[in-house]
Amino acid sequence: MSVRVQLPPVLRTVMGGERYLSAEGSSIAAVLSDLARRNPSLALHFFDERGSIRHNIVFLHDGAMVRAKEAAARRLKPGDEVVITNALAGG
Amino acid sequence: MSVSLIVGTPKGAAILRSKDRRTWEEDFVLRGWPVTASTRDDLGRTYIAVNSPNFGVALFASDDLKNWKQLENAPRYRPEDRGNPEHHRLIAKEDFTGTLKGGGRFVDQIWTLHFAHGALFAGVSEAGLFVSRDRGQSWQPIDGFNEQPGREGWAPGFGGLGAHTILSDANDPNRMWVGVSAAGFFRTDDGGKTWQPKNKGVNPAVDSAPASTGQCVHSVTHDPRNASVMFRQEHRGVHRSDDGGDSWTVMEEGLPVTELSDGHHCSFGFPSVMDLKSGSVFVVPLDGDNFRFPRGGQLAVYRSKNGRNWEPLTAGLPQNCFTAVLRGSLAADQMTPGGVYFGTASGVIYGSDDLGESWREVASGLPRIMSVEAYAN
Repeated sequence: MSVRVQLPPVLRTVMGGERYLSAEGSSIAAVLSDLARRNPSLALHFFDERGSIRHNIVFLHDGAMVRAKEAAARRLKPGDEVVITNALAGG
Repeated sequence: MSVSLIVGTPKGAAILRSKDRRTWEEDFVLRGWPVTASTRDDLGRTYIAVNSPNFGVALFASDDLKNWKQLENAPRYRPEDRGNPEHHRLIAKEDFTGTLKGGGRFVDQIWTLHFAHGALFAGVSEAGLFVSRDRGQSWQPIDGFNEQPGREGWAPGFGGLGAHTILSDANDPNRMWVGVSAAGFFRTDDGGKTWQPKNKGVNPAVDSAPASTGQCVHSVTHDPRNASVMFRQEHRGVHRSDDGGDSWTVMEEGLPVTELSDGHHCSFGFPSVMDLKSGSVFVVPLDGDNFRFPRGGQLAVYRSKNGRNWEPLTAGLPQNCFTAVLRGSLAADQMTPGGVYFGTASGVIYGSDDLGESWREVASGLPRIMSVEAYAN
């Protein structure tokens, strides 16, 4: 099942300027693992030393914000778009 | 002969190039990435370390300073490695989801990169040392350093528990030094298997800290071809060693001596660098750990030509300047005559092409400058 993933600006640098990538998976966590498998340079940005999704990464999906700890439970449908972003602070 | 400067900032790297060391072309790369360190290997490949609080630590490499490719791997601790409790306490304010509660050890910044004897070394926080023998494609922890007895009791500086200085001996691949804030300076004589503290003669950062591993070393410089003569900018002043760090003596004649927050007096500052051809050493003193700006607002670099005393160099540097020069932000290009460059916490680069006799503004309008490296091309 294919979904579209939008990368944050700093990770586009890693991927030669690409804004969108395609990935397979039925949950956000599965999509992240697939992206890392296809693009090994992204793996260390998604996962920490213990294999956990980095805790400051936040996903936007279907109008909702999804925290890293919720990524495995967040189900996706074919054609969905997932935006990878990060926790924001300031103002 | 031309010179390139690699300038690390929290928002990317400024790349400055000059053919005459007077006029400079500037580019700004890796935009959005905090750039913390850089180095160059013997093939002319330049490496830049980045860290993001959101997306972790990584390395980029380039052969032309224009096209940068991220390396697939970076220094990482093992899942089972245990973290230092005091480092965790210091960085806990950024641990929004409790990652540190598991007690793990994480690489949260590359403080320094160093190329020697065909290998690329990285000093990181939480304090540790890693090596790559394939130009950054893979990294291995140096367990002799990272797991040495007593490590769990090291106390971090305000910037965290970071291994920020790596020095090597051009004549002995088994000898190397690493500086850690605030645990002090360490040396190996057996290729990294064992390490000994080398802090004799240097006061601990605070009186209550351990005498052997309580030193807050800020930077150390030397000539790798004459490696045992070393100059050390410490929280508690400037020191010299003639025996590879076995013993240290205060070397502050001519330097501004100011008061620290605990009432001690010494010459406080962060960076140090040596021009290898002349043997001249440079430091940038600040007005103690209370104020951390140049004394009286006169930005000044101090030079020692004879390794015994110091002279101020201020021609072309501003008065009423209340900024700082951070640990990694002083560099020498090793040309003749020697070029010296430094960046300020307020985003200005100054350069000299006459061993510090006169200075010019090289660039301004940059973010806080965290590192400067200079290379003759």
